[in-house]
Formats: sequence, structure tokens, C-alpha cells
Amino acid sequence: MILGSALPAFAGPKPLTQMVDGRCRAGAAQHPFKPSLSAAKRALTETNKLTIVALGSSSTAGTGASDADRSYPAVLEAELRRRLPGREIKVLNLGVGGQSAYEMYLRLESEVIPEKPALVIWQTAVNDAIRDIGEEKLAKILRKGAHKLQEAGIDLVLMDMPWLLREGRYPKYDDYRAVLAKTASESGVSVFPRYAMMKSWSGSKQFSEEEIVGMDGLQVVEASYRCFGIRLADGIVSELTGGREPVKPVN
Amino acid sequence: MSGFWRLVLFGKGPREAASPGRDLRIDVIRGLILLVIFINHMPGNIVASAMPHNYGFSDAADVFVLLAGISAAFAYGRLIDQRGLLVGSLKVGARIWTLYIAHLALFVLVCGIVATAVVRTQNALYVEAINIQPFFSDTQAAIVNALGLVYQPYYLDILPLYIVLLALFPLIYIAARTSPFATLLVSFAIWQGATHAGLNLPNHPGEGGWFFNPFAWQMVFTLGVVIGRLGIVGAALPKLVLVDLAAAAVILFAVVVKLSSGNPFGIALLNDWIESLQIGIDKTNLAWVRVVHLFAMTWLVLRFLKPGASLLKGVVGRRLASLGRHSLEVFCAGIVLAITGQIILAETSFALLMQLIVNLAGITILIGLGTFLSWYKSLTARAASAPREQAATA
Repeated sequence: MILGSALPAFAGPKPLTQMVDGRCRAGAAQHPFKPSLSAAKRALTETNKLTIVALGSSSTAGTGASDADRSYPAVLEAELRRRLPGREIKVLNLGVGGQSAYEMYLRLESEVIPEKPALVIWQTAVNDAIRDIGEEKLAKILRKGAHKLQEAGIDLVLMDMPWLLREGRYPKYDDYRAVLAKTASESGVSVFPRYAMMKSWSGSKQFSEEEIVGMDGLQVVEASYRCFGIRLADGIVSELTGGREPVKPVN
Repeated sequence: MSGFWRLVLFGKGPREAASPGRDLRIDVIRGLILLVIFINHMPGNIVASAMPHNYGFSDAADVFVLLAGISAAFAYGRLIDQRGLLVGSLKVGARIWTLYIAHLALFVLVCGIVATAVVRTQNALYVEAINIQPFFSDTQAAIVNALGLVYQPYYLDILPLYIVLLALFPLIYIAARTSPFATLLVSFAIWQGATHAGLNLPNHPGEGGWFFNPFAWQMVFTLGVVIGRLGIVGAALPKLVLVDLAAAAVILFAVVVKLSSGNPFGIALLNDWIESLQIGIDKTNLAWVRVVHLFAMTWLVLRFLKPGASLLKGVVGRRLASLGRHSLEVFCAGIVLAITGQIILAETSFALLMQLIVNLAGITILIGLGTFLSWYKSLTARAASAPREQAATA
């Protein structure tokens, strides 16, 4: 019944959107995203609510998108609302362009935790890598951040750094990615495989390079924002529903 | 009560001021700080990893703002003493206008450099590196906000702070003249109050505030004004060996903490605190340790670096002083050079030789600029006084 009343809202997705959504999942088997979401599950069963905070820099803020509702957190919110009908779902966008991991770490206490989210998606480390702040320092910041959220009973997903067209500009880029991966696994935090996704798109001919790494002042353009939202929603919904609800929406 | 403490508590009237000449320490240290800021603004370069922020809690910015307070006291405070509040404030107003125009020019230059780099290299991360996305994604709003100082890309956040602080200068100076101690107390209270209340000026787009929160940073500036004021009235710092030792201990502690990877003291209770000092020290609202570290350094410099020290008068000292005397021009040039340098470094994959060349070239250009401006100033000063001399001899 609930489904029925919600149906008209998404009865006719645009063909273009449909096409894009399909290619978002290209190669998904090679870079799966299976977050552990105990707090989110609890929040959903107990309160029927799910609040997610998207903390990050420009690719969270949605830089380069033609409109605020094309950022990945906005796409994620729309997808979750569509796929989890009857639930109260909110995705807050706390992305600020150019911010470092430490600046965001300071905001955990003052801005993130007060929103009482069940899940935080933290997109970071790229600005720390290009400024080369020190690998050990980044590890400490991420670890303390993860710890702070664990103490507050909030689930965390770390978003991997973006794939770059010419990574050689930043010789330690891969080292910083490794720090992110290692710290995440040590702290029991799931990583959203953004780098792997972008890299596989770049070889797949399904996306043009400009769709992945925009060049006129935008880091990631709308198509990839949309895909991040879709793939995040895939992982979150399948974890929350235990795969009982179809991951692919019935259109 | 010794003369120093009486001056700290009760100040001194405008007419009673001694009039010392230009303090060479201000120019030399400021020159040095300008070079450090230039190098630090190219993060990831090898020279930056040797800069003071790797060894201490406070960094070049803290010293820069403190010196701004001291030199404002010397430049505009003395004018207020001699010619009154109105004349002094008008002069301050003229300086603020110059700073504002310089800030806007710098903003346009930086946007232009980054836009050119992104189009030529197709590396959109240059935009991210200085938070200049809003300018490209919503240019109209960004320009209006930049004019109002409520949009500040990275590196373009110090001049707006300086503008606000200088606007407050006449008030702070009059207060410091009456009671330096009470002035510092009020200033501290505003800093702490604003930090706890989350008070800051806005930085659009988004909910963020100024990177240098003026409600916090006025404290460092006020401290500078008070030091400058006490210098003007010729207060001699008392010889307090215990304070000397405490200051040295603070600096040593900072070095040990920053250079260790874990907790160097082996006291488990301190683990969390030490780690929090190692990952970063709040700059926006000025963490306590930053201020204590700055106090310690200031104390030691005032105690042990005399205005006439030969260190200041040597070749290096003279070159640095010529930079320090033209800090606005050198600062702006340093920003443009550093952003260009960042791009060159990334395009050459941070090759070691290139890093050294970029640093050396930038420092050479900045010192050249300082030297040129000093020469030009003496030239124009001579030209201006020439007709009068002729008239006098005729």
C-alpha cells in the first residue's frame, strides 16, 4: 500500500537517467561496497528514521554540478527515499570545498555529532595528499575521527580518494590512499571504493574522460556524482534490508 | 612596584611617551616571516618541511599578526599621541583602503592564474587546492562576497583579518594607553567568549566562518599593540629568570612533541593530549597551546634579542629588514609566486631539483623586490626633499 502511494512519484524516470544508472554499476563485482551499519539498522527499526551526514570537501559539496540537487548526497537522499518508502530519511550535506582532514575532524564535534546521524560518510584525504601533510599525521586524524564517531554510536563510511587523470603530479598520492585503506581496516570502517569505480569507468568507454574528471573548474561532474549516490544507495539499502528488498529498483 | 608593572597596569599619557627610533627587530623578523609564509604556501615542498610550524605550536601567521600589532602601535599609535585621535584614525583609514584594494587585486590575480593553469593542464585539483571553486561555480555571488570580505579563498584570508584588526586599532590603542593590563584582559575575554559561543564572521558559500576568526585573533594583535605601546614609553622588561626558564621549557616541549611520532614522555595519561597536539592545533579559534607558545617566543626575543644586535645589522639582517619594511607588497608578491610555484611543482611531479629552484627563485625575487622598493623609496624621498633644499639655499 505504501509502495502504491509512493509509486507515482517515480513512475517515469527519464530514459537518460536510467541509462546512466545502469552504467554506474559496471564492474561493481570487482569493487564491492558492503558497509557495516549496526547503528543505522538500529535507528531504522527503533525510530523509523535514518539521518546521514555527508562530510567532505568539494566532491561532497557538489562543486561543478549544475544544481545543488545533483550533488552525490542529494542523489543518495532521493534514492534512499525511493527505495525505502515510508521511512524518514535525511542526508545532510556538510561538504566544504578545499577542507583538510583535520579541519573536518574538528567539525565532527561541533557540526556532525550534534545532528545525531546514524551514519557519517566521510570523504577526505585528497587535500591532505596534495598538500603532503604527512602520512602518519593523516592516519592519526582518521583514527581519532573514527574513534570519536564510534564512541558516539555512529556508523562511518570513509570515501576513497578520487582517481586522477595524471596522478604523477602528486608522487605520494598512492601512499596516502594506502593510509586511508589501512586506517579504515584497522578501525573497522568500510571504504566506499570511489577510486576503483572511477578507474574502471575510465577504461570502460561508457564514460568520457570529461564526465569523470571535469576540467573546467570542476572535480567530478554530474554523471559521477549521480553514480556515487546510486552505488552508495545500493550498498546501504542491501545492508539495511539484508537483501530482501531488491537492490535494483523495479522501474 | 617596579616601573614596568606600573606601566602595565596604569599606562602612560600621550605626551609622556619616549620616542625611540625604528626598531630593527620588527623589520628583520617580519622579513624572515614573509619568506617562511611564501615557502609554506607551497605545501609538500621539501623546504617547507624544515619550516618552524614543524617544530612549534604557533607558526608564521601568529608572529605576523603580532608584529602587525607592534608596528601599528609604532606607526599609527605615535601619530595618535602626537596629532590626536582624528588625524591618527584618518591615517589608519587610508591604510585600510590600500589593504582593501591590494586584497581585491590579489583575488583577481589568483583567480586568473588558477583559471589559466586549469585550462592548460586539465588538473582541476588546482582549484581545490586554494578553495576557489565558488568563484567558478557561482561567479556573481563570489564576486559580491569577495568585495564584502565574506568569501575568502585560502591564502586570501590574512589581509581581510588585517583590515578588520586595523579598523579596531584606534580603540585598542587608546585602551592600551590607559591600561595595558585591562586591555589584555578584555581582549582575552572576547577571544574565549567568542570561541565558546562559536562567534565568527561568515565565509560563503556554506556555513563556515573566517579561517582566521577575528574575534579570536584580535587577541594576538592586541598583545602586539600592548608590546608596541610599552616599547614607545620605554618600559624595560624585568629580568625574571623563572619566566625565561618556563618560556624555554615551553619551546622545548613543543619541539619534542612535534618531532616524536608517539608519546615521548611515556605517561599514558597524556597519550590522548599529545596525539591531539600532533595532528593539528586549531588555528581558526587559536588553541591555548598556540598562544602559550607564542608568548614564550615573544618573551625570549624581547629578553635576549636587543634592538642593536649585530645579528640584525649584518648582510642577512639588512636584506630581511628591506623585505619587512615593505611587507604588504612582499606579502602579495609572495602569494602570487607561491600559487604559481605550487602549479610548477605539481606539473614537474615535485622533482627535487625543481623544488629547490622554485624556492630559490621565489626567495630571490622577493628579496629583490624588497631591495628595489627600499632603493626606490630613498630615491623618491630624496627627490621630494630636493626642491625644498634648493629653495632653502637659494
